[in-house]
Amino acid sequence: MSDPAIASRIDGFAAAVSHLQLPVVDSGAFVVDGLKPATVVCPKSLSQLQECLSEAHNQRLYVTTIGGGAHLHLGNVPDAFDVGVCTPGLDRIIDHEPADMTVTVEAGVQLADLQSALGEHGQFLPLDPPGDDRATVGGILAANVSGPLRHRYGTARDWLIGTRVVHADGTTSKSGGRVVKNVSGYDLHKLYVGSLGTLAVIAEVTFKLAPLPKVDRTVGVACPSPAAAQSIISAAHERGLAVVAAELLSPPAANAVCDRGAWTALLRVAGGAAAAARTMDEIGDYAALAEGELTDEPAAWERWRGAFGPAPLSLRASVAPSHAAALAETLDRRFAGDAGRITATSTAGLVRMNLSPADDVRASAIIDHAREIATQRGGFVVVDAAPLAVKKQIDVFGPPRSDIEIMRRLKQQFDPERRLSPGRFMGRI
Amino acid sequence: MAEEPTPSYVAGEIPRGAVTAALIGELQAAVGKRYVLSTPDELLSYEYDATIDRARPQAVVLPETAEQVAAAVRAARRFDVPVVPRGAGTGISGGALAAVGGVVVALTRMRRIIEVDAENRIAVVEPGVVNLDLSKAVAKHGLYYAPDPSSQRACTIGGNVAENAGGPHTLAVGSTTNHVLGLELVLADGEIVWVGGRTRDLPGYDLAGGFVGSEGTLGIATKISVRLMRLPESTRTLLAIFNRLDDASNAVSAIIAAGIVPSALEMMDKMIIHAVEQALHCGYPLDAEAVLLIEVEGLEESTAEQAGDIDRICCESGAREVRLAVEQADRDLLWAGRKSSLSALGRYFPNFYVLDGVVPRTRLVEVLRASNAVAEKYGLAVANVFHAGDGNLHPNLLFDERVPGTTAKVLQAGAEIMRLCVDAGGSITGEHGVGLEKRDFMAWLFDDADMAAMARLKRAFGADERFNPCKAFPAHRGCGEVTAARIQRAAAQSGDENVYV
Repeated sequence: MSDPAIASRIDGFAAAVSHLQLPVVDSGAFVVDGLKPATVVCPKSLSQLQECLSEAHNQRLYVTTIGGGAHLHLGNVPDAFDVGVCTPGLDRIIDHEPADMTVTVEAGVQLADLQSALGEHGQFLPLDPPGDDRATVGGILAANVSGPLRHRYGTARDWLIGTRVVHADGTTSKSGGRVVKNVSGYDLHKLYVGSLGTLAVIAEVTFKLAPLPKVDRTVGVACPSPAAAQSIISAAHERGLAVVAAELLSPPAANAVCDRGAWTALLRVAGGAAAAARTMDEIGDYAALAEGELTDEPAAWERWRGAFGPAPLSLRASVAPSHAAALAETLDRRFAGDAGRITATSTAGLVRMNLSPADDVRASAIIDHAREIATQRGGFVVVDAAPLAVKKQIDVFGPPRSDIEIMRRLKQQFDPERRLSPGRFMGRI
Repeated sequence: MAEEPTPSYVAGEIPRGAVTAALIGELQAAVGKRYVLSTPDELLSYEYDATIDRARPQAVVLPETAEQVAAAVRAARRFDVPVVPRGAGTGISGGALAAVGGVVVALTRMRRIIEVDAENRIAVVEPGVVNLDLSKAVAKHGLYYAPDPSSQRACTIGGNVAENAGGPHTLAVGSTTNHVLGLELVLADGEIVWVGGRTRDLPGYDLAGGFVGSEGTLGIATKISVRLMRLPESTRTLLAIFNRLDDASNAVSAIIAAGIVPSALEMMDKMIIHAVEQALHCGYPLDAEAVLLIEVEGLEESTAEQAGDIDRICCESGAREVRLAVEQADRDLLWAGRKSSLSALGRYFPNFYVLDGVVPRTRLVEVLRASNAVAEKYGLAVANVFHAGDGNLHPNLLFDERVPGTTAKVLQAGAEIMRLCVDAGGSITGEHGVGLEKRDFMAWLFDDADMAAMARLKRAFGADERFNPCKAFPAHRGCGEVTAARIQRAAAQSGDENVYV
């Protein structure tokens, strides 16, 4: 921030938004990849958010949006970061009509708060990303993070039915709506999901909701081999049992999540009483076949979320579901010495790995090696978290595909001056 | 007179070139002579879909490969002629019509199922594959393709992608967009590119999500990878009969409010009941005001429990009778009335106009009443058969186009009913698309800034106004006036088996 021209533009920005009397925030808490913003503003309404973006745009400053700060580790190292716009002040639940099973909220609402409000009406938003309770709805969408529930419920895009965003210049637009079925206009909200705030700032969102199941029970089956643990998950999947989450845990992961030292199938059984009872019976049978040891694990998901938040090195590999268990096994074998713990949503082909490599050289080697292994199985690896020096050397998303030119044009259309988190997205968009 | 400014949601100019003999020659070189149609007789069946509008293209090409599609697109571009993609032509919004003329690219010859990966529950298909054919092809693996538009025996997956098609069973499993993982596209410049792939975890912007439902305005899908679902172990179907329409509507809300999301929750009103009963004798009481057709799928224990709960809720809501079917043949009988409802109507009215609007489920009762009142005001009969569970109304306005002035009244009544849906917090389309028919209602939902943002997506795809011009967004200078043709000729033909909702 030694550049006097930037300093004076920051001052200009601060003066322009001073009449909003926004709370003073310590920008030290909003460091992204070593970049500390000159200032952080926390608007409390859509119009304040618009004004903040508009003034930053007028001053030609670079803006990164921050929800709860739970996903700042994601993406490439930004080229520049002058102004942090934090959204937790946008915390209103605008409209929840239980009988419509939809909810409209401001983007800064924390997921945990939303779930407790919905829970009073027997409903929930079936998203359970790893990490802590700071995560906001807008942040979860921008990062497109999901958790074990995607086995049954899919990802954020499947539940999002409308958004209002603020563009780089402070203007606003909406897409979708508040009804569960709607094909009017382009589904721009799909594009904002996972965009890491590089297209626009998500301000308001509307979700479809799911009913809370009557029975909700979690069991772990510790098995002699990864194949044995996977066989239980596969059988439950094939049989269409009442299982809403099914994670395959490597021994170190099982140790962290449910104090087991073996490959473990962690299954969340949910639904009506009779269906859940039969599901438990069948899982018991498959567990016996797999020579596994079945235990109730009521606290496992809470611990899973803690165990799979960002680590010194967090990787997310994706392969065909039929390859997931074998990939998990290979990764575990190769990186056991790096304190690697692995959890696979195998039915989605998603294998997550958290590691603590000894140094940056080792971290780089792990990334290269993991990418090679995944590529051999027709998959790819996204680096969710890595030491800064390592991140600077790579594209965390891996090599761009042939559609990268459309993505570049999309960024050009939505943010022609590259004011929103420049460089953070795939292909350093 | 000052020239009208081009609205911000328009991306580029509408192509103004003519379909010349030279262009026909290039198209023939691209796809083979017999697969280019250009005589009036040949073009006739491409001038309408299942809506009231008509518009004739100057040429139709029937490519067999993505490369042929790309060659045709490039040729049309060189001659500055619009390109209009088309599937089976069963759309109900005018999306497949050549609004300002041009070349129709019909994808019906591209009907290969390229790959079925049963273990990973993925299929890769060409756009011309008929929706139901995919489910039939994968049934031997215990799988099916979930989106089931009522036209599924005729409509194509490519058309479903364009419209983000729904169907009765999308209540629990979502529309086409929830089932498409990736697409091979031919863009406006003839480039062939994949967006998305075989997993939801691909990094980058969700271009496939942006493409699905874009109504043929962004490009032409030449391959589609879709998610398949496991066939349920058990299915139970209930038919609940009500003496009052309001009671049936309230039962819909009560079922959802009880935390039950059936796989289908359909409503039929008295007009439909009469038509169906007289055509099929499927046992609907003629003095009933409404029936609900409700289906639950899943584990045997789960469907038994849910069916029991639904039975109780319907009775508490005032159902006079609830019938339950478990076996396939019995369930088919309950569905028979629903599936043949429109062709049954065709026996009594020469024409019907199918509307597609959405309201929050809690507003069903009032909007249904108000919608019926609009029809009455215009002296039109109306029959309602629709996806009540997700608030997706399908009022069918019944009329005889031979009576002068009737078609105009139908269109006016249709517009008023759409307005009711918007005023109730809903949408002008839940599954049929905006197309030509409802483009001018878009401004009720979206302001200029909203539509300008959408135009950015179009520019990112490089599509400007070459693909399917004048569709899905309000008509603007250069779009001409197809509506004149609408008033003159009503095309929704009685008993056309390709017209469904």
